[in-house]
Formats: sequence, C-alpha cells, structure tokens
Amino acid sequence: MRFFIWLWCFTFSLLGSDATIEVIKKTDALPLLAVENATSGLNDAVGARFARMLVSDMNVLSIFNVEQETLHVNYNDEPARENRNKDYVLRFVLTQADGTYVTEIKFYEKNHLVLQKRYSISQQDLMIFVAHSIAYDVNERMGEAPVEWMKRKVVFARLTANNLSEIVISDFTLTYQNAVVKGGHNVFPQWGNKDQDVIYYTSLSGVRPTLYRLDTKTGVKRKMLDSDGMMVCSDVSDDGERLLLTMAPGGQPDIFLYQVRSGKYRQLTFYSGIDVGGQFLGDDAIVFISNRLGYPNVFTKKIDSKSVDQLVYYGKSNVACSVHGDYIVYKSRETSNAFSANTFNLHLISTKTDFIRRLTATGVNEFPRFSNDGMAVLFIKNYLNQSSIGVIRLAQNKNYLFPLKVGKIQSLDW
Amino acid sequence: MKKVLLSSVVLAALIFSGCSSKDPSIDATKDTSNQGAQASTSGETVSTGIDGGDSNEMSMSGLESKLQSVFFEFDKYALTDDMQSKVVGNADMVKGDSHGYVVKVEGNCDEWGSDEYNYALGLKRADTVKASLINQGINAERITMVSYGESNPVCNEKNKECWAKNRRVDFKLLP
Repeated sequence: MRFFIWLWCFTFSLLGSDATIEVIKKTDALPLLAVENATSGLNDAVGARFARMLVSDMNVLSIFNVEQETLHVNYNDEPARENRNKDYVLRFVLTQADGTYVTEIKFYEKNHLVLQKRYSISQQDLMIFVAHSIAYDVNERMGEAPVEWMKRKVVFARLTANNLSEIVISDFTLTYQNAVVKGGHNVFPQWGNKDQDVIYYTSLSGVRPTLYRLDTKTGVKRKMLDSDGMMVCSDVSDDGERLLLTMAPGGQPDIFLYQVRSGKYRQLTFYSGIDVGGQFLGDDAIVFISNRLGYPNVFTKKIDSKSVDQLVYYGKSNVACSVHGDYIVYKSRETSNAFSANTFNLHLISTKTDFIRRLTATGVNEFPRFSNDGMAVLFIKNYLNQSSIGVIRLAQNKNYLFPLKVGKIQSLDW
Repeated sequence: MKKVLLSSVVLAALIFSGCSSKDPSIDATKDTSNQGAQASTSGETVSTGIDGGDSNEMSMSGLESKLQSVFFEFDKYALTDDMQSKVVGNADMVKGDSHGYVVKVEGNCDEWGSDEYNYALGLKRADTVKASLINQGINAERITMVSYGESNPVCNEKNKECWAKNRRVDFKLLP
C-alpha cells in the first residue's frame, strides 16, 4: 500500500514538472497582499501611478491575491489598520533630490518587516523598471522561481500607417516606450546581444529589403546587407556572433547563416517553397517553418546536414514558433476560412511527451517568444482592433495582456 | 522573529545599465550608414533638371497608375486565369511606354498574421508575377521584388471583400 502511495506521489511530481500539463487555478488559496503608498513630497499623481504599476506587477507574479485599492500611509508607521489582516503588505515611498528619483520599500509578512530596500534612478520615465525590480525582489523573498524576464527590455515594430512603422524599445507592460527608429518602413527588430544595446532590423523603405544594425548607446546605424524580395533577421546566437537570416536572392525565401565578424554567409535550406523563421537550437541545429509538406509546419535540421526532420505533428498550419530546451510553443491556425474571421492560437508541446497544451483561446495570437529561463512566453495578440503584448506564465497557467494605445504591433523580440 | 534585510541599492549604473541613458532615437529617413549610401528611401527622387525631372515624374506616375493590381485566393500564390490576363496586359505596358523603367513588384497579404511566413507568402505572390512577366518577354534585370506582408493594406474593414482586396500584387515603376 505504501508503495502505491509513493508511486502516486512520484507520478504527480513528474507531471507537475511538465509545462505542457495545465495547472488548475488556485486563486482562492493565494495569500492576500496590499500595496501602501507613503509618498508625500511629490505630485500625488506620480505616487498614484507608481502604485498602479506595483499592483500590476504584483498581480503578474501570480503568487498573491492583490488588493486593488491602495491606502495612503506614513512610511514609518506600522501597516495600516485596514491591512493588518492581510498576509503581506508592500509599502513604498518616492522622493526626488538632485535629479535622482529614489524609491524605498518595506515588505511586511503578517505585520512583520521582512524586506527593506532602496532604489534610485535618474529618469522618471524609467520608473516602471523600478517597479519590475521591486517585483523581482519580492518574488525572490517569497522563494519563488526567478522572474529575471520582468526586468528585460522588449523591442517591437509599431505600424502607424500603411508602409510606415517604427522600432520601439519598451518594458513588457508597454508602460515605457521609446521609439529609436522613426520614419520609413521598419520591421522585424531583433536584439543583437545579451546586453540589449544592439538591434538588427529590416528597412523596407528602399528598393530592396535591407538589414541594418543599430547601436542604441551611440545611435549609429550601419547597413549590413540586402536581398531582393525578403530580408529578415530571425535569430541571434547567444554570443551575438551568428545570425539566422531569411533571404530570397532568387525569389525563394530560404534560411542563411551569417557570421557577424566576417560578413560571410551560407545557405542552410534549399526548398523551392517557403523556408522562414530560423531559430538556433543549441550550437549545431536550427528550427524553422517550412511548407515542404504542402502546409506550413515546424521542422528542424543540423546546420551541417541536409537532412530535415518534422518537429510538430499537430495542426495543419503552424506558421511561427519559439523553442526552449525540450519545449516548443507554436502558432497554429484553428480555422482556415477566406470568408470570416480566423483564429490563431498558441500551443505548447514537449519533444519528450505527447501532451499538447493550448495557451490562448481567442483572436490572432502570434510571435511567441520564450523567456531566457523558459518559464514565460511573450506574444502578440490582435483581437477586436486591439493590439497587445501578452505574457503567459506557464507554471502558474496565467495570461496577462498589455494593450498598445496607438498603432499595431508587427513583430517583437524579448 | 523579525528578520530585516536592509540594503541600499543604487540601480542607475547596474540594473538599468541598458536604460541609464535614454536610448537615442534616429531618423530612418536619413541614412547614417558607415558603408556608403544604400538606395534612397521611398518618396525621394533624383532629377537632372527641374523641367525634365518634373516631366519624368509625371510620366512615370501616369504610366504606373495604368498598371493593374493582381489578386490572389486565400493562402495561395498561384495565378488564376483572369489574373494571368491582367499580368499579360501589364507586361505589354512594361514593354511599351514603360520600357525605360525598372518594375517593382510588391507582394501583399491579408491581415491574418504579421509573421515571416505571411511575408514569404507575399513574396511568393510577387515571384509568381515576376515569372509571368519574364515569360512575356520582360528582362529579369528590370524586375525587383519586395513583400510588405500585411503592412500595406488598401482596405481596413473586417469583411471578406476587404481581405480579398489586400491579397494582391501591386506594380510600381522606378527610374
């Protein structure tokens, strides 16, 4: 009997570690958390706005039931009487001196102070990144899996009119936005290094699609190469030394491996139909989208081999994907109809199991991108004339949407 | 037992190293390339003389307006018979009055996706049209292609007629 109980527990522990297994929501069981605002020396709107950022970030952590109302308190008092029954209280105060914005926090557990920290930053419009850092630290104090991805920047292309789009750097909530390439038709931005200070993007403004490299620290833009028909940087290797490009020198879109230092490149795929969206799979293989079976699907190949293997066996129109370890998240068309609205959903599979988990339910969901740790997926959602960035927290089974106020998101990288 | 972790952190130079100064903004309409100038951005034209330049531009624009767009079925890049006849008509114009210009063949798609595959679909449509133009006797050197994917719609309504108008190839003339 004891053996069967042990086997039952072991089986569930295995399932629990598989991200393709859907986690049942446990909202009622989450501890209560309240945010308290102790800001007094600045404009009330600044403090209130930062409180909203913190409430949003605490929600995204998915480990609290977050009180939506924020009480105004004195920083050095005990937690407000109304909040003493809460499991956790996060209090903050904002101050400004000599051009520096300082944020101090106190984090209480059952009315006991367990974390106190101070943050400073020089630009007010970057305050959202302070909120993300606070969320990171609170999450760490709670002993949860790291959320490093919250602090990373997002780069995306924003369509503002026909053939007019700009490259924008933002945080994952779109609270901070800075257009770094304006004017013309610019698409498919891709971070060029781990420090996120180099961007590759495609300009469609000239006669031929052209790949540019932008150094965001200096603003220097450099032409890399061009191709008739199509030119996209689909992925950058971890060391920033190799790029996977989609080019079409003969009118056929194929995948090429480009060496950044030498400027040399070689063709990796040779199919007469469509091969696009190459992504590195370790050091010696790629994953890509091809219609070589008559419909778009996900395939893989070794860089130095001509042999191609099918990677996904579910869905008849899988047109985009992201890979992390054994997991693949891909965009699949649920309907194929020229006469009505179509639905595209994201699905998660593991190469080690047969489970398939649908991650979205409505609208056009595309451009999935795994976080570095594989625990979250960033994507674009277009639904009812609204373009948003979505975040899926796989282990928590929660999705969060952050709408773009103006324009449409064409593509993104994280 | 209250355990207080007190740390004073200056983040400006560390956590926000990538954000410590606002990312500089550049104007993509001005080419700052270190490797010489790429083709000028769309909308810019170079004329050799005021009269001649204006005249050429008018002529090119007038000829361009006579080239008919070619439309495609949902998720397809093959030419139907009636669309093939449009390409033949355009080829006659390109060989005739427009013989001095380069032809830019622009592939477009409906709104169902902004990923690379949709751009590739637009490119395959452009490539199909290019092959047909070559079959009609147009020199391949005179034809250049681009795909705009879903980013250049002529109709923004949410209905089948509108989507059908966006699954197309346009023709532009370049000096």
